[in-house]
This record gives sequence, C-alpha cells and structure tokens, in this order.
Amino acid sequence: MSAALQNYLRTYRKRAGLSQDELAFLLGSRSGAKVCRYEHLARRPNLRTAFAYEVIFRAPARELFAGLYQKVEKRTLGRARLLAEKLSAAKPDRITARKLAALRGLFFATGVGSSEKP
Amino acid sequence: MKRWAIEEKRVLAIDPTSKGLGFVVLEGPARLVDWGVKQARQGRTRNCVKQADAMITRYQPDVLVVEDTAAPGSRRYPRVRKLLLNLRTLASKHKVRFRTISQQKVKKLFAVASAATKHQIAVAITDQFRELEPRLPPFRKPWMSEDERMAIFDAAAFALTFYEGLERSKPRQPSEV
Repeated sequence: MSAALQNYLRTYRKRAGLSQDELAFLLGSRSGAKVCRYEHLARRPNLRTAFAYEVIFRAPARELFAGLYQKVEKRTLGRARLLAEKLSAAKPDRITARKLAALRGLFFATGVGSSEKP
Repeated sequence: MKRWAIEEKRVLAIDPTSKGLGFVVLEGPARLVDWGVKQARQGRTRNCVKQADAMITRYQPDVLVVEDTAAPGSRRYPRVRKLLLNLRTLASKHKVRFRTISQQKVKKLFAVASAATKHQIAVAITDQFRELEPRLPPFRKPWMSEDERMAIFDAAAFALTFYEGLERSKPRQPSEV
C-alpha cells in the first residue's frame, strides 16, 4: 500500500467545513496559524491537542495521524522483536514465558511474525 | 509490472483554469483526501508548476492525472497544453506515474449516471462526495463565465474515470467469469 499521509487533519477539517481559525478556537489555541502548522507537518501536536482532535472529529488518533502511527508501530514492533529474542535466549521460567506470550500476542494482533524483520 | 489494488493508489488530479488550477487528492474511488483551487495570477504557467510541485511533495501520489489534450474534441488553450506538458516533466522528476484522461472517457463514465453536462457531472460527483457540496458552483447561464470551482469537479471526474479504468483492467476472478 502506498504509505499513509503523516496526518489527515486537513481532510477531516475540510470535511467538517471548519476554518483553521474555528478549529483553533475548538482546540483552545489563539489563532489558526498553529492549526496550519499541524496540517503542514511543521509542528507536531501534543497529546492534549491530539485528544482534542479525536473529540472534535470523532475519529481515533491512529486514523488522524495515520502515517505517524504506522511509523511508531513499526519501530515498536522492532523493539518488541528484539526483546522477544533476548527473552528467548534467557533462562526459561514462568515469568519469561508470560512475557513471551504477551509479545507473541502483540505480533499476532498486528499481523507480524516474531521472526519477521521490522 | 507491479499491479496495484485500486484503493492502494493515491491519485492527484489537476485541472488548470484561466487563473490557476483545481485539484483533488483521492485514496481510492471513495476516499477524498483533499481538494481545492490554487490561484496563480502572475507568471501563471510557472506558478502552477510550482503549486503542483508542492502538492506532489506533500501528498506523494502514485499517479498524477490530467486531461488528455491530444484527444479529439479537446479545446484547451496552448498555454494549458504547455502547462500539462510541464506537469508531465514534473511527474517524471518525482517518479510519479502520469496519466491523461480524455473528456470522452469522462462523459462515457458519467453517462451511466445520466449526467451529460458539466454541471450534471459535478452534481453526480457531489452525490458521491458530500463534502464537495459547498464548493458546487451555481448552474451556469449562457452569459456567465465558468466558475473556477468547477475545476475541482473536473479534476475529480478525471480521477474517478482513472479509477474506473483500473477497475476494468483488473483481471477477473474465475468465479466472476
């Protein structure tokens, strides 16, 4: 699939028919300049703003920031794979088995094999 | 050659106007990502190419779709023909596929929806993408010049015709035969 755009904030805003200034008001910002910067990837919104976007557009953050989410997911799964390899090499006990099961569940849920390179 | 699923293609469709250009970005035939009109009054051709360059950089489309001015019946001004040639060069610079769609193909596609005129096609597009409703220009009377917002709908029509062509070129499944 062609990589998702970094964010779809502009798409959702235009669908809602809101101007940048109106959205800035809803987000609690003083002017639409900040909204413009979020949309043009010149600035990354903080967690509070991301949640505000979720509330306004009724869409999960992973959809609003699809490209960013894909990037974070890929990197996190890469680290999870490294941790799984490290745990597999360690002395097996109940706690390690539990951790490995959790990591396997993570790979299963995201559709990535634990042996697959990120 | 790699085949792409329809919904995996991001398409940027551009339709030049006398004052700038109209554009739409689609991710599949049912998902409209962005749309609008860009103004380029001074040095129109150069500015339009600059605007298109910025859009390609921003949206990273798989395909750039424009009107086929070489098709019979195309009445585009030489400046626009030159601009579309420049867009072809721009697409190859960005390694983006370039496709041209003739007005005949567009009319053939929308004839199914009983839309023959530009306004009827624009209304049919609005039925599909409700978010374009505020941009739909009023019905054009004979003494009125064309509203520049119509370029958005022309660009959308090219993009939808492109997707329709992809759908038709898709190999059929054995169960469908």
